[in-house]
Amino acid sequence: MAVTIDYTKLRIVPDPDTREWWEATRRHKYLVRRCNRCGHKWFPPNIPACGKCASMDAGWFETAGTGVIHSYVVVTQPIVGAFVGAVPYVVAIIELDDCKEDDGTVTRVAGVMTNDESEVAIGLPCKVVFEETGNPNIVMPRWQISGSAEKTWRFTE
Amino acid sequence: MGALTDKYCIVGVGETPHMRPSNRTTLSMACEAVSKAMEDAGLKPSDIDGMTSYQAADSTSSAHVATALGMRLNYCLDILGGGSSTEALVAHAIGLIEAGYAKTIVCFRSMNGRSGRRMGGQVPGGPIPVATAEGDNQFNMGWGWTTPAQRFGMSAMRYLHDTGCTTRAFAEIAVAHRYHASLNPKAIHRSPITIEDHQRSRWVAKPFRLLDCCQETDVAAAIIVTSRERAFDLRHPPVFIMGGYARMMTENPQWNYSRPVLHYVAGNYGWKRAFGMAGISHSDVDFISCYDAFTFTTLIQLEANGFCGPGEAGDFVKGGRLKIDHELPSNLSGGHLSEGYTHGVQMVIENVRQLRHRADDACPGWREGRHTYDRSKGCRQLRKARICCGMAWGWENMASCLILRGIAA
Ligand SMILES: [Zn+2]
Repeated sequence: MAVTIDYTKLRIVPDPDTREWWEATRRHKYLVRRCNRCGHKWFPPNIPACGKCASMDAGWFETAGTGVIHSYVVVTQPIVGAFVGAVPYVVAIIELDDCKEDDGTVTRVAGVMTNDESEVAIGLPCKVVFEETGNPNIVMPRWQISGSAEKTWRFTE
Repeated sequence: MGALTDKYCIVGVGETPHMRPSNRTTLSMACEAVSKAMEDAGLKPSDIDGMTSYQAADSTSSAHVATALGMRLNYCLDILGGGSSTEALVAHAIGLIEAGYAKTIVCFRSMNGRSGRRMGGQVPGGPIPVATAEGDNQFNMGWGWTTPAQRFGMSAMRYLHDTGCTTRAFAEIAVAHRYHASLNPKAIHRSPITIEDHQRSRWVAKPFRLLDCCQETDVAAAIIVTSRERAFDLRHPPVFIMGGYARMMTENPQWNYSRPVLHYVAGNYGWKRAFGMAGISHSDVDFISCYDAFTFTTLIQLEANGFCGPGEAGDFVKGGRLKIDHELPSNLSGGHLSEGYTHGVQMVIENVRQLRHRADDACPGWREGRHTYDRSKGCRQLRKARICCGMAWGWENMASCLILRGIAA
């Protein structure tokens, strides 16, 4: 179920380190940072240097935009006006499929998924989708469940 | 015996009431808290020669407070910082005294945390009408993920997944700290609650319910640090600083998405250092304090600081273990969950009062250290309060610890 966000109440301000990332979302590309020296990948992209080798030669890697839910939270009390009409909504941390490194390092991202908590579980695969915001400069990446998994975990009381 | 042993002391503590709203400036509240801490110590403004504070661009400065109170300082500094900063300012004060920059130093925090700038950016009167997402906020506000409850809820959910713990463990924390607040005349919420009350309270950011979240209040609080030589001349038995760590970080501190274990917090890196410095083991600790921004944060600090193993805190806290008169009393003033929210100072203040044997409770003789230990009559003084381990936290990424020793009981 789609979350309805009032983007007129949310002003995103790209900066010199993130402009290319937001430009890529307009082309429906999901980027993470990649170190041009050692290949390490990271998110969010406003971090200007590589956490492994401290190089500031930070490039980009275009991910497939798929991953697995690592954790989530169900927001019922919004504090940003844009999300007042959206509650309850699930925000998830997603571990990207194609950013795993040889030493076990992973890259995780986060995003809004759904209004329906029952769709979501840790371990489920998901994929990015891109939502028009009404502001031609900002296209917002969102995440959707894309399949099933053998082992999942869901919060229950 | 560690390097610090018996060299530096906390000699004065004081705070304003917890207010909602204060209708006061942070300068006015800070002056009250600092004055009360001086009075508590038996010090005059001319005895204070250093002052530090922390804030989130939401408060007054040491220079303003010193001007108002007629002090001439040899050192003043105001830092940006949140939870875990109190203990860091104590460590900083020790360094200043040791190096000879100042002799007696006040550390304070003054905030209109309810009526002014609230944590997570919420504005008085409801949601932010039009939010601007720049810097880090581009990558959390855009998906409605900004408040501490929303952010820590993510770690808490993964913790429940990883450990098999349930939210009844969260409830144990809420119940214990509320019970202590019921014995504290200063606390905002004093009606005892049950596990079931916790389980029935409304969701804020699942897995957090209302009773998992701390109170927001308008308050200022202050403590005074000096050396042993001066401490013995003052009003109360000194409380000695035994050891600690200060604003220690995890790896990948500012962006916690990709840390191997989301709920592996900074305390994990620090506790051996703190206990080694103090020359004690966990069994020497009579009581603790935890930065309880949320119930859950207490659980992971117990694990991180070695009071139990990874994933064991849920079992560890069962059956009221953290309540007064039980094995490991925690946050005896009621903490952030029930007393009010000082951004961490109140834990140190309460620990000092307990170690002096002068908890400001309903006992008529508390000022002289005479307590009944009768909880039904409102006594919250521990019978045995010699060593306390205070554990503090900013985010998952940032933590402090302060081990204190009293000589009063
Ligand atoms: Zn690199």
